[in-house]
Amino acid sequence: MSSPTARARKLRWNLRLVSATAVSAALIIPLTACSTEATNAAKSDTPIEIWTRSGDTQAKTYQKILAAFTADTGIKVTYKPVADFDTQLVTRATQKNLPDLFINDAGSLGQYVALGYLKQIDRTTIKGNDQLSDANWQENLGTDGKIYGVPFSRQAAVMTIRKDWREKLNLPIPKTWDDVTAMATAFATKDPDGDGKANTYGMVVPGTAQSGYIARWGSPYLWQAGGDIVKQTGGKYTSVFGAPETKRAMEWIRTQFCTPGNVVPGSINLNTTDALGFSDGKAGMYLTGAYQLTVFDKAVGKENVEVVPMPHGPKNNTTFAEGENVYFASTSKNPSGQKALAEYLITEKAQKIGMDSPAAGGPGPFTSVVRLPVNTRVDAGAVYADPRWGIVADAYRNQPHAYPWNINFIPLRQIVADNMNAMMADCNSDIPALIAKTDTALKAEIARQGI
Amino acid sequence: MTLTDASTPAIAGAAKLRHSWRGAKPWVPWVFLAIPLLFALVFKFIPLIEGIRMSFSKVQPLLGDQFTGFDNFARVLTDSRFHEAFLHTVILAVCQTITAVALGLILALLFEGASRKLQIARTVIFLPVVTAIAVIGEVWRLILQPTDSGLLNTILHWVGISTQQMLSDENSALFWVGLVGVWAAAPYNMLILLAGLVGIDRTLYEAAAVDGAGRWRRLYYIALPGLRASLSVILTLAAIRSLRVFAEVFILTGGGPAGSTEVWMTRIYSIGFDANDLGLASAAALLLLLATMILTVLARWLTNRKGAQL
Repeated sequence: MSSPTARARKLRWNLRLVSATAVSAALIIPLTACSTEATNAAKSDTPIEIWTRSGDTQAKTYQKILAAFTADTGIKVTYKPVADFDTQLVTRATQKNLPDLFINDAGSLGQYVALGYLKQIDRTTIKGNDQLSDANWQENLGTDGKIYGVPFSRQAAVMTIRKDWREKLNLPIPKTWDDVTAMATAFATKDPDGDGKANTYGMVVPGTAQSGYIARWGSPYLWQAGGDIVKQTGGKYTSVFGAPETKRAMEWIRTQFCTPGNVVPGSINLNTTDALGFSDGKAGMYLTGAYQLTVFDKAVGKENVEVVPMPHGPKNNTTFAEGENVYFASTSKNPSGQKALAEYLITEKAQKIGMDSPAAGGPGPFTSVVRLPVNTRVDAGAVYADPRWGIVADAYRNQPHAYPWNINFIPLRQIVADNMNAMMADCNSDIPALIAKTDTALKAEIARQGI
Repeated sequence: MTLTDASTPAIAGAAKLRHSWRGAKPWVPWVFLAIPLLFALVFKFIPLIEGIRMSFSKVQPLLGDQFTGFDNFARVLTDSRFHEAFLHTVILAVCQTITAVALGLILALLFEGASRKLQIARTVIFLPVVTAIAVIGEVWRLILQPTDSGLLNTILHWVGISTQQMLSDENSALFWVGLVGVWAAAPYNMLILLAGLVGIDRTLYEAAAVDGAGRWRRLYYIALPGLRASLSVILTLAAIRSLRVFAEVFILTGGGPAGSTEVWMTRIYSIGFDANDLGLASAAALLLLLATMILTVLARWLTNRKGAQL
C-alpha cells in the first residue's frame, strides 16, 4: 500500500507524463501530416497550388483572377505570393514537391528545364493556344525544341521621365544618348523642383551586382551600341562581349556614374527595392519596367510621369523585352488542374482582370500583373486607356531584345554584372581590361555548361 | 547561510524523487528529452549530414544528384572570387575582432560601477546588441549616405572634411562595413567583460594601490589576468561571428562596389540561391565550418597557453 503522499506524487507524475506525451504528439503529427500532403494532391478535389513572384499589391490582382477562375469552374486554388521566389522554390524542389503551377520570369525557363522542374507542354492541347502569337510560343522553346511554358504577360523596359521637371527646364524629349546625358546633368544642376537646394539627380540606376541588377539595367544600352553578351550560331553559344561596341556602351554608362549628379549618389550599391529616387521625387529619369508606372503615378502624380520612346544609341533604340510564363511543375500529381488553370490564365477575361486598369472597372488597387497581354484579342491601349501604355506596346513590338531563355543564363548575367559594377565603381577603371576579363569568364562558363 | 539551510531538504527530496522515478520507469527521461532531441535532429543534425552529402554532389533534386567527389571543393578553392571573398573575410574578422574587443574593454572599464547614471549609459550603449541586424544595416545605410546632405557627411563638413563616398567607394567600403560591425559587437563584449570585472576581488586593487601600483599597472597585473576567461570567450565568439558575417554586408553593400566587400557568406548565398548551385554552395559552407572549428580550437589554445604563462 502506498502512502497518500506517494499516491499524490504518482498522480502528479502521471499528469506530467500525459502532458509531455500530448505535447510531443502535437509536434509530431503536423510533421507527418506534411509528408502526406503530396499524396492527397492526387485527388481531384484537392486545390491547385499556384505560386507567383509578387508583393502584396500584385497578389491582390492575382487573387482577383483566381477568384474568377474558381467561380467559373468550381475548381479550388491555393495561392501563395512569394517575394524571394527562387529561394523558396529551391526549398520545395528539395522536398520533390513543387507547387503545381508557378508564374515567373520568362528568362528562367532554361534554368528550370536544366534542373528538371518543368513538364513539357503540348501547345496543341492547350485550349485557346491560337489566341497567342507564334512569337510568344517560340519564346518558350527549350534547347531540345520542345515547349516548357505558357506565355502569360509581356512587357518592355521604358524610359520614364519627370514631365514637370522637363517642361520647367524647357528641355526637349531626349532622342539620343547625348540628350539623355544632357538632361541628367540639367536635372542635377538646374534645380528642377525649384526648392533652391541641390537635392535632385538625373537618373535612377539599380547598380549593384547582386542578383545581376546592373546587367539588367545596362543591357539595353549595350544592345543600342550594337553589342551583346552572347550569340547563338548553329545551336552553340559564344561570348561576343569582347566586341568593340561593348566598350562604347560601357564608357557611356561610366560617364553617367562619373558626372556628379547624373545618377543618384550611392547607386553603385542599390538594388531595385532601394533605388527609390524616382518615386521619392529626387531623380528625373528611370529606365525600368512599365509595371512601375502605377507606383510612380501614386508617388509623384500621374500628370508628372511620362513615358518616352527609347532614345537612340549609336546603332538603334533596342529595349529590354521580358515577361512571365506559367510553368507546369514536373512533380505535380494534378495535370488536369494544371492545364485547366493555365488555359484560364490566357483567356481574354483573365488577361483583362490581370491588367487591373481603372478603365477595366473594379475598385483597384490597379496593379497590373498582366502588363502587355499575350492574348492577341486584348488591346492594351484600349484596356488601359492610357497613351503611355501605347508607347510601351510599341517598344515591345519594334525593338525588343530578350536574354536567351533556353539556357541557364543567370551565371552569365552574373559575370557581366560583377564586371560592369567594377567598371562603374571607379572612374579610372580599365574598361578594356575588364571587358576582356568578362569575355574570358563568359567563355569559361559557356564551356562549363556545354552550351 | 539561510539559503543553504532552506535548500538542503529540498535537494534531498529531489534526489529521492529522482531515485524513485528512475527505479520505476527507466524510459521516463527519454520522454522529456524526446522533443529537444527531435528538434535537434530535424533542424541541426539531418541538415548538417545532408549538407555534407550535397557538397560532394551536383545537386539536382528532381533529376537525381550526381556524385562528383571533390569537384565542388576544387572549384571553390580555385575560384578567384572565393579567394577575394576569403581575403575580405579575414581582413574583416581580424580588424573587427581586435577593434571590437579593445573597444569593449574600454567601455567596460569606463562603465563599471553601480550608479544609476551608469546603468542608463550602459543600457544605451547596449542597445545595438538587441537591435535586429537588418535594422542596423538600414539605419547605417542612411547615416552613410554618400551625398552632401548625408548624416555623417554633414558632420564631417563641420570639421572641414569634404563629402565622402563611403560605401560607394571600393577603396573604403570594407572599412565602413567593418565599422558598423564594431559598433554592433563592442557593446556585447562590454557586457561580458563587465561581468568579468565584477568577479575580480576589489581588495586586490586596494592592496596593489597600497603597494604603489599605478592605474596602468593595476590594469595590466590585476584586471587583465582577471578577465582571462571572459576574453577567451569573447575572442572565440567574435572570431566565429566574424567569419560568418553576412547580414550587415548583404544589406549595406550586397558585396559591392566592384566586389570589394564580398565575404565568404555572401558568395555562398549568391552561388546557392542566385546561381542555384547548391552543391558548390554546400562545399563552401563546409569549408567555412572547418575554418571556424580550427579557429575556435586555436583561439582557446592560445588563451589557455597565455593564461598558463601568467
